[in-house]
Amino acid sequence: MRPYQVATAAAIVTIAAVAMFDSRAAFNPSAGTAIGDVGARWYPFWAASLMGIAAVIVAYRALTTPQGNEGAFAGRRSLFAVLKLAVPMLVYAILIGGIGFRTTDFTYRIVPQLGFYVATALYMGLFAWWLGRYKIWWVALITVAFPIVIFAIFEIGFRVTLPKSFLYTSGILPF
Amino acid sequence: MEVFGQLAGGFATALQPINVAMLFVAVVLGLVIGVLPGLGGTSGVAILLPITVFIAHGSLPGSDATTAIIFLAGIYWGALFGGVITSILFNIPGEPWAVVLLFDGFPLAKRLGKPGLALASSFVSSFLGALVSTILFTFFALPIALKALEFGPAELFAVFFLSFATLIGLGAEAPMKSLAMLALGLLLAAVGFDTITGEQRLNFGQTSLLSGISFVPVTIGLFGIGEILASAEEQGIGFVENISAKLGLRDVFEAVRELRKRLRLVLSNAVIGFFFGVLPGHGATAASFLGYGLARQYSKNKENFGKGEISGIMGPQAAADSAGVASLVPMITLGIPGSPTSAVIMAGLFIWGLQPGPVLFIQHPDFVWGLIASIYLGHLLTFILCLLAVPLLAMIMRVPYAIITPFIVVISIIGSYSLNNSMLDVFITVIFGLIGYWLRKMKYPLAPLVVALVLGDSTERELRKALIAGHGSPLYFFNSGLSTVLIVLAVVLVAIPLIRAIRARRRGAAEPAAVAHP
Repeated sequence: MRPYQVATAAAIVTIAAVAMFDSRAAFNPSAGTAIGDVGARWYPFWAASLMGIAAVIVAYRALTTPQGNEGAFAGRRSLFAVLKLAVPMLVYAILIGGIGFRTTDFTYRIVPQLGFYVATALYMGLFAWWLGRYKIWWVALITVAFPIVIFAIFEIGFRVTLPKSFLYTSGILPF
Repeated sequence: MEVFGQLAGGFATALQPINVAMLFVAVVLGLVIGVLPGLGGTSGVAILLPITVFIAHGSLPGSDATTAIIFLAGIYWGALFGGVITSILFNIPGEPWAVVLLFDGFPLAKRLGKPGLALASSFVSSFLGALVSTILFTFFALPIALKALEFGPAELFAVFFLSFATLIGLGAEAPMKSLAMLALGLLLAAVGFDTITGEQRLNFGQTSLLSGISFVPVTIGLFGIGEILASAEEQGIGFVENISAKLGLRDVFEAVRELRKRLRLVLSNAVIGFFFGVLPGHGATAASFLGYGLARQYSKNKENFGKGEISGIMGPQAAADSAGVASLVPMITLGIPGSPTSAVIMAGLFIWGLQPGPVLFIQHPDFVWGLIASIYLGHLLTFILCLLAVPLLAMIMRVPYAIITPFIVVISIIGSYSLNNSMLDVFITVIFGLIGYWLRKMKYPLAPLVVALVLGDSTERELRKALIAGHGSPLYFFNSGLSTVLIVLAVVLVAIPLIRAIRARRRGAAEPAAVAHP
């Protein structure tokens, strides 16, 4: 566990250092607007430094005290169990909004915006097919049914507007 | 007595048809959330928070902010009860506070073949614990709130400071890890506009960060996504044991008989659970372990513990439910959440346009007393539903992993997106899910992070107001007797683990084999 503990603490120290650098104006004497005010940067600066000091102590203790030999994951299987969930989740989040960048006269899309419903259909279908190993008609049913039920409950019932796909803008689908 | 009149008014509010209906829906949802191992009470409440915005603004006929809080709190009550069902029947804790039930609940169900008795014992003691706690809530809330109305910035900051100190000093994890998480919460709360001077900070030039990092997506990530990643890892290792569940009237009567033998234990654990739950950051989970320890300590037959002893079910359950109810007390009276779940409910209050804290009792007495009355009703409803619907609830565990897991991710994303219609919030949820999973693995506590995130703004504001009032002198905090006492108490609390650590090291130097704390 030692390298993982130290690496985690190091990451926290890095965040603290970035925040302290951003808040370096804490030492600017004309910081606040009222007499006695410490200014906008004082509080984040000291919160960050407190965090950094605490993480340094955590790292120091991880280095100086005996630690178990086990890794962060209980074997390769549990690492894969987590990755199987984490990677599709990231892809799913990216597909909902798509990735693109905008210049003054045109928007370039690297990943098309699939919207919430189409991305959800793919995501639920993937799990049913890949992890569930269901028959193809079950996969198809899950793929179609979940987005429609969610659309009925949230979009019609609660009037929550979720991101739509490029198929919505071209008028092919209601979502 | 003024309290009884207020409470009667509260019941009149809570018994309105829309409020009863939403309480029922909430309790059922809470039970389902409690049973699902990948979805905890905190994340369940956070995911459903955006829906309450629509409830609070009257999208349902007759609904208002009171309906919204009755709904959110009802989910919590359901989850408090529901988490134990899977502990007892499947040997899998549905909620962190149900972990202790693995020690005696599952053995009683499996080895001694009495699942009905194990469930009924847990439900009756939960109900009694919650009832005691709600009665204490009813009588303590108003005096605390009235006292708190006299607080100035110095006293308010001292109260915040004390609650942070309890998170560090009384936390289960290493104090330095608690401190790091607490400071991270304060830092995240500071992102965006400074509320006093209007300066931009920690946004690194991003306009999307100017309004700050919102609490709800972070919490859904840390708890919802984080938990489901953690349980995915366990799925890679473990397997499910299964006992068929039936709960007859005979089990309930037997449980009540057993309860009468242990009335003193259950009542005293309920009272202890209440005062423990009022402390910030120590909701039901810590209280359940404390309750188990007390039950064992004062038992005549200690050797039965771990083999299906009923005191090992009733003791922790009474304390856990009592603490769960009590964690709302400081949130409602002082604006300080007693647990991560009550931090989420408090974020709800902000979103509905209410200011949690003593002013609530003056400006919105209907809201406060409606909530208090609904706690009585909610627990009664949960209790009855639990007795009736255990077989149905146990069936939820049969929904396959390949459907339920992605489904929880999907509703988490709906929850985080719909609050501000923001894709940034979706990414915050996913990223904080990964962070929360990793922090949990590295044994960093998440409660200080969540509590500090929701309190960060008010803490900074009161601190700076006090400094302005004192013309920059920190001695201003010692002008009032109360704030002096609170600050001294806070310093003592933080010093306790430090002194303990130094002592342990001295002993460790004499005795090198001593196991060190990571």
